[in-house]
Amino acid sequence: MNRYLKLVHLEVHRSRYMLFVLMALTVIIQLIGLVKTTRLRVNELSEIAGLQDSAHLKFSFADVIGASQFWFGLPILISGTVLGLYVFFIWYRDWIGRDKFAYRMFILPTARRNVYLAKASAIFIFVFAMVAFQLLLLLAERELFNQLVPSEYKMSSVFAEAVASNQLFDDILLPLDFMQFLVYYGLGILAVFAIFTAVLLERSYRWYGIVYAILYLAACGGAIGFAASLSYYGYLYPREMAVIRIGIYLVVMGVTLVLGFRLVSKKITV
Amino acid sequence: MMIELEHVCQRYAFKKVLKDVTFTADKGQITCLIGLNGEGKSTLLKAIMGLTPIQGGAIRVDGKPPGRDIYEKVSYIPDHLAIPPSMRLSQAIGFMQDFYSSWNNERANELMRFFKLDINERAGRLSKGTAAKFNLVLGLAQDSAYVIMDEPFAGIDLFSRESIAELFSSDLVGSRGVLLTTHEVGEIEHFIDKAVLLREGTVARSFICEQVRGEEGKSVVDIMKEVLLA
Repeated sequence: MNRYLKLVHLEVHRSRYMLFVLMALTVIIQLIGLVKTTRLRVNELSEIAGLQDSAHLKFSFADVIGASQFWFGLPILISGTVLGLYVFFIWYRDWIGRDKFAYRMFILPTARRNVYLAKASAIFIFVFAMVAFQLLLLLAERELFNQLVPSEYKMSSVFAEAVASNQLFDDILLPLDFMQFLVYYGLGILAVFAIFTAVLLERSYRWYGIVYAILYLAACGGAIGFAASLSYYGYLYPREMAVIRIGIYLVVMGVTLVLGFRLVSKKITV
Repeated sequence: MMIELEHVCQRYAFKKVLKDVTFTADKGQITCLIGLNGEGKSTLLKAIMGLTPIQGGAIRVDGKPPGRDIYEKVSYIPDHLAIPPSMRLSQAIGFMQDFYSSWNNERANELMRFFKLDINERAGRLSKGTAAKFNLVLGLAQDSAYVIMDEPFAGIDLFSRESIAELFSSDLVGSRGVLLTTHEVGEIEHFIDKAVLLREGTVARSFICEQVRGEEGKSVVDIMKEVLLA
């Protein structure tokens, strides 16, 4: 356990700059979007204030988020893409270059599954750190909105409304329904493990491994796809479908972890 | 007390890299694995460390197969410095200290002084020779029973080679078992106790150097030429 935590620390420490860059990028892009959209709206309202009843000329923080889909979505898409690529890179960087750190990682006096789990934990830490950072940033952005907008144009909105206003927040990043959150993030965790195992298949069997990895990912995708399409089988009760789905997810997760641990312990070649 | 390889076979795709390799490297002896390029010397060392699987035979270190139990007992010095380039040497030493209970910090400091290395330097900025020296520090600073070295002299200048060769007769190697591969056999010939000659993926000849010198009046290099160039 102790060495697992040290490995997690090592992985997070090695990638800290990537995380900081993504955070900085998110701050810069979202703030540009927020300031630009807010100022534009304030100017518009100032211009028509004399022509209409000013009681209706108000807008909320949630409205600004809704009107800045591009500015708020872009850093999330960039971060998602970078973290997605990082799922591969976190393994391959230990093989590429003149240092080939894999030689050292795999002769550490600890179970090799700890290396596997530490890399996965680092990815999850990055994802949840970005989500938590986004939530904190939204609070700061709301504060900035309050500063930028004159009180006569400001309409209050609850935080959940602001989250729900952006399609990416609502659909993927921060679904307000807790079950949906569990399913999305559960599938995300499963996808990370599945890709890890696919990478290890390639690292263990090289060219043949690519074929095995593709077949393996297709099998995982097929099983998850089948679980997702259970509702088309009308003769099952919702509770039965939920049990079957959870069962399929657990089987895929179990097979993925067992295969991944075996590959990293017995088959991997540096 | 030894590293044993029994009928070890390894394939890469359909090509057999190692065919029925059997030999031992005993504790307290320096065993040199000799062969031309591509004969599978590095693969054998990696197999001992469990860094590549074997398809047949058995490898044991003091009776145990490769795995986490042997990593405190056997230190491995690969043919390159396996440390992230952004890491400072002090951080690399801290990393080793964190993970290996067999790590001997005093010995690490002694070796750092011996090689005149700067702990504030980053691994990625080291020259090939300096990286090879630091690689030796990481391997030899462990209180391990065995040391496995893959081409410890590669890329090192003449004077540094001499100082590294000195290590073989010093307390830093002492009573450990050493298994190494090198193309510079001539330079360490007098330190080697046992030579194992690999040819076409199998052991062509294995002998005690002192015995061959006494009985046949031949050096390791003479036998190498006979066996490998035949």
